[in-house]
Amino acid sequence: MQVNPRWRQDFPVSCDDDTYATRREFMKFLGLTSVAFLVGTCAAAARRWWIQLRGAQSRPIAIARLEDIPVGGHKLFRRPSEDDPCILLRLGPERFVAFEQRCTHLSCPVHFNAANNQLVCPCHHGFFSAEDGRPIAGPPKRGLTRLAISVQGAQVWVRFGKDEKA
Amino acid sequence: MSPRVRLRHRMSVVLHMVMAFIITLLLGQLWLFTVTIEAIGDRGLSATTATVAVSCSLLACSAIWALIRLFLRAENQQ
Repeated sequence: MQVNPRWRQDFPVSCDDDTYATRREFMKFLGLTSVAFLVGTCAAAARRWWIQLRGAQSRPIAIARLEDIPVGGHKLFRRPSEDDPCILLRLGPERFVAFEQRCTHLSCPVHFNAANNQLVCPCHHGFFSAEDGRPIAGPPKRGLTRLAISVQGAQVWVRFGKDEKA
Repeated sequence: MSPRVRLRHRMSVVLHMVMAFIITLLLGQLWLFTVTIEAIGDRGLSATTATVAVSCSLLACSAIWALIRLFLRAENQQ
């Protein structure tokens, strides 16, 4: 005759019973997961709206004088905050373009290659057109975010937050 | 098979279908979440995309909770 051991009397819950999930519990888990997705989506959307709002409120900023940048040259700057690296390119005497300097693949800073008229990401060899920021080769699928540029007087002005896809 | 057992069997099938539908809605919500995350980095995507994603996610969440209530009620009746 098998005697019920003492430990079983002290801990009568079996391992299977302990980990068993009823259908009802599983449904509640699904419901809470749904709420978590909703909260995450709202948070991401709020961040997107905040970025747009911040851009809409920004005023144009002078970032360079014309004589500072030779044709084929570039200038790095950080706006609207120190965490936002951007690059201004002078492609012709009167032709300026500016992009966010983050590669759209994994956010490495891109560099200007004037010889090929390309922006190059050294991390994974992504290449973008300097004309419009579209991806030419490598892993990036999206173009660089282009900034709105204007030349007034002897200065180049940039306006941030404009939704302008390269 | 008695009518009562047959009814329980049918109910069980329906409940499984409801569960599968809820999981489909959850996958849809996951996709909407990734779209919204993408909209943060890609300014080419309009902010309207994020608005639509939030609306759809809210709709899906409401539907899921409504289905869960229905599910629990049906299970109680079993």
